[in-house]
Amino acid sequence: MKILMLGWEYPPHIAGGLGTACQGLTWALAEQGVSIHFVVPQLFGNERAGHMLLTDQMRRAASPQGDEQQPTRRHASFETTRIPAFLQPYWSPGQFHAAVHDSRKAQSHGRAAARKDDRVARALIDGEVYGVDLISALYREDFYPEVSRPYGEDIFREVERFTGNVISRISSEEFDVIHSHDWMTFPAGVALSQLTGKPLVVHVHSLERDRSGLFVNEQIDQIERFGVESADRVIVVSHYTKRMLEEHHGISGDKVAVIHNGVYPRQAVQDYRLKKTWPRHVVLFLGRVTFQKGPGYFVDIASRVIPNIPDVLFVMAGSGDMLSGIIDRVEELHLQNHFLFPGFIQGEELEEMFSIADLYVMPSVSEPFGIAALEAISFETPVIISKQSGVAEVLEHALKADFWDVDRMADMIINALLHEELRQELVCKAREEVRKLHWDAAAQKTIAVYQDVAP
Amino acid sequence: MPAVCLYFQVHQPFRLRKFSFFEAGSGADYFDHSLDELVMKRAAERCYLPANQVLLDQVSRLGGSMKVAFSITGTAIEQMRLYAPEALDSFKALAETGHVEFLGETYFHSLASLFSLPEFRRQVELHRALIEAEFRQAPRVFRNTELLSSEEIAREAKSMGFSALVAEGAEQVLGWRSPNGVFESADAKLPLILRNYRLSDDIAFRFSSGDGPGRPLTAASFARRLSMLPPDTDSVGLFVDYETFGEHYASNSTVLTFLAELPEALLAQSGWSFVRPSELATRSVRRDTLPLSSVSSWADEAKDASAWTGNSLQQSCLARLYALEPKVLVAGDEGLLEAWRRLQTSDHFYYMSTKSGGDGSVHSYFSPFGSPYEAFIAFMNVVRDLEQKLG
Repeated sequence: MKILMLGWEYPPHIAGGLGTACQGLTWALAEQGVSIHFVVPQLFGNERAGHMLLTDQMRRAASPQGDEQQPTRRHASFETTRIPAFLQPYWSPGQFHAAVHDSRKAQSHGRAAARKDDRVARALIDGEVYGVDLISALYREDFYPEVSRPYGEDIFREVERFTGNVISRISSEEFDVIHSHDWMTFPAGVALSQLTGKPLVVHVHSLERDRSGLFVNEQIDQIERFGVESADRVIVVSHYTKRMLEEHHGISGDKVAVIHNGVYPRQAVQDYRLKKTWPRHVVLFLGRVTFQKGPGYFVDIASRVIPNIPDVLFVMAGSGDMLSGIIDRVEELHLQNHFLFPGFIQGEELEEMFSIADLYVMPSVSEPFGIAALEAISFETPVIISKQSGVAEVLEHALKADFWDVDRMADMIINALLHEELRQELVCKAREEVRKLHWDAAAQKTIAVYQDVAP
Repeated sequence: MPAVCLYFQVHQPFRLRKFSFFEAGSGADYFDHSLDELVMKRAAERCYLPANQVLLDQVSRLGGSMKVAFSITGTAIEQMRLYAPEALDSFKALAETGHVEFLGETYFHSLASLFSLPEFRRQVELHRALIEAEFRQAPRVFRNTELLSSEEIAREAKSMGFSALVAEGAEQVLGWRSPNGVFESADAKLPLILRNYRLSDDIAFRFSSGDGPGRPLTAASFARRLSMLPPDTDSVGLFVDYETFGEHYASNSTVLTFLAELPEALLAQSGWSFVRPSELATRSVRRDTLPLSSVSSWADEAKDASAWTGNSLQQSCLARLYALEPKVLVAGDEGLLEAWRRLQTSDHFYYMSTKSGGDGSVHSYFSPFGSPYEAFIAFMNVVRDLEQKLG
């Protein structure tokens, strides 16, 4: 079975859990004999050697001489193709705009001129896939940016560009099922499905409502709805997300399959543990510093813990629209000696941070899954997670509280830091649990969905 | 002539609130009285009152040929006084028939036998005084918390004047032997009345809604199974939680019918009768001596103390709690002493078990906490507060 997969990021250059999840799932699918053509937009900046299986590919792709049109075989039955786009998943349109302006050093890419494929145009008739005007996308003169020309002005144009590129480059390939990850790739998935008649599976890793709380971007929200309505089947990462789809988008639960993410066990944790030099208790927050992740609650929790555990250090790793406000608040509360803001970290730095932390805290307001919690456990770090998270459905051996219940979270942190036996028991049992949350199980369920739509 | 020895356990703990770290020193109550009230009222309504009525009817119908024993903890009796006095009255009515025996145990259903023998003896004496006051009979046979048994516990029970010890008929105790008779502990030389756990668990667990073979269990089929036991059967110990009848299984299930029909069904089998634990202790021939070389209990697959002491969370809490004994005894504060003792109730440690599988689901069924870790945190917060109060 050959699957055409549309993604928006892939490790090591990732902004969140989406890339990690795509990596884990595709590994396990490939191992079970599924042939995957994974299409990602162009990543920007030199990629660091994070994940060894993709490192070579990343370097080659970054090279100006690299032939990006040729898919590079990485795995027996796994290949990735880059499509140019400037992107960061889950940026709001405003953030995206700002980033484009800041990104004077953004790389640009020469491209062959777009083939004006009449077949494509004919197939699309009106040429509109929700929010994306495909005809103009395909025929627009500036569709492929010239060298030294900055990238598009907003995220929707990047989605439009991705959609047009996927259609002009990919639609003639052979595949049985289209598997589309999150809203940015939904228009491309729907267009391809319309064009080729192949079944579409959309995979919801998070929803606009999770990411933005009350300030939902209507256009994104509607693209999401359009995607899940158009799809033959929908995969969601938790029952939590399934409920949101049912309640918010009115999607019938019958076409929705809940497939929890897995995690790959880590090696070499002991090395990092030995390297631990900080003589203090470390409590880690890791993620985008944005409303969805509850960074403000993290500071409130810290303010209750610090008077009781004098040697505690709260590390807030990540960047985001709330970061400067959070830093101001920490200073206002005179807690700066107990806080560290290393910014966005990845690769070895991230692994080291997970390893030396005594606790990982995820006070998310709304978290479709929360794969970082499983990663923390694979680095032998016990976790405190909000009950408003999908990962709470699969993880029994974790401390859980409502995100708004800062006293309860602080109580849990204090006790975990005071009692090593609590941390030990949590992590020891959670590791047993996480071993069972292997990607193989997720891949098996995913294959069952494929077989369902393409018997 | 084979006989069935029926004994029912009645227990309710004083459950802890989610006592927060930040409440330490605030004078806040440790216990969740409204939850206790809810559970006790529900247990009284669904189990204690209807099941006691079934037994009262049987005794009035069958007189002395129906015999049954209870072990009721001090904490359960306190809660009946508070929330369901009519349930306590119906137990008293059973006591007044003269055909119902009450066993001795620790007042607080504690693990003191494993951590402090002086405290263990004090709690057994407290319980004995309570049973005498409520039911006008002195317990003669001893059953320790969850049937925790060892030679040391047998020795203590004997020295306190008990005539027999109730123990789990576990493989690690019996080896190849059948549990269906009275044994004697090798060292303490105390008669042992053993629980036939297979037959007891049939009663305790086979009333679920599933429709597998032999479900639901009927009194007639159960009595037939008893009658097919080997001819050398002397006595069969059927010991179950009383809450099985109506509480663990909803009262609209067939479990109360089972209880109602069991005596006639059994007495219809030729030669079978009922026997009280204290009668067994005096009348029966000893089958064999059994060394209670390690601690056994009726809990979990392991049938040892691991349900309460198996992980480091439990061990840490128990160590902190029993370390307070000298201070709490000299402090002379009745309220603190009572709180310290209520904290010893084994249930608190049972909730902290992190065992998985079938054992784990039984532990979490009974727990008022979201997880073993939350049970640990609440307990530790309370112990910290108690430590502060004791100075």
